[in-house]
Amino acid sequence: MVYMRHYEVMVILDPSLDERTVAPSLDTFLNVIRTTGGNVEKVEVWGKRRLSFEIKKNTEGIYAVLDLTSEADAVKELDRQLSLNESVLRTKVMRREGSRA
Amino acid sequence: MARTDRRPPKRRQNLLAAQGIDTVDWKDDALLRKFVSDRGKIRSRRVTGLTPKQQRQVAVAIKNAREMALLPYPGRTASR
Repeated sequence: MVYMRHYEVMVILDPSLDERTVAPSLDTFLNVIRTTGGNVEKVEVWGKRRLSFEIKKNTEGIYAVLDLTSEADAVKELDRQLSLNESVLRTKVMRREGSRA
Repeated sequence: MARTDRRPPKRRQNLLAAQGIDTVDWKDDALLRKFVSDRGKIRSRRVTGLTPKQQRQVAVAIKNAREMALLPYPGRTASR
């Protein structure tokens, strides 16, 4: 059994996307997690937010936060695939310490 | 007599984070903004009145939030 950990992935997406399509399209990425035995606990779409500074000439971005339980390699692959997508401006993977928060 | 206490006047001794929060969340930019000057610099412990542990936590959280454009990086123009 591979060691599973809690991860928190934040994604900033291109603001020109339709916000309603964000959750379904993120979901297709999450298949990597599911097929490797991981679990997607929460997909939270914050919606459009103003960026503190420009990223790729964008002043706004659509924020989304994913909560996962997964093995390390699957998250790495998810992050790789996300960053290959052109509508993804930025990603950040964080380990959530212990079981809290 | 004024010589004996030359402590700077304002010291925000209230531990803002101690008001119910024990773990600082880097996604909570509204909270973190309170620990950042209007130029985007992290406020010193002398100003925030936090414990060393809290200050470290806040500083790391601010740096993470900056990476995701939730908070600005310090710079000459404090565009608000």
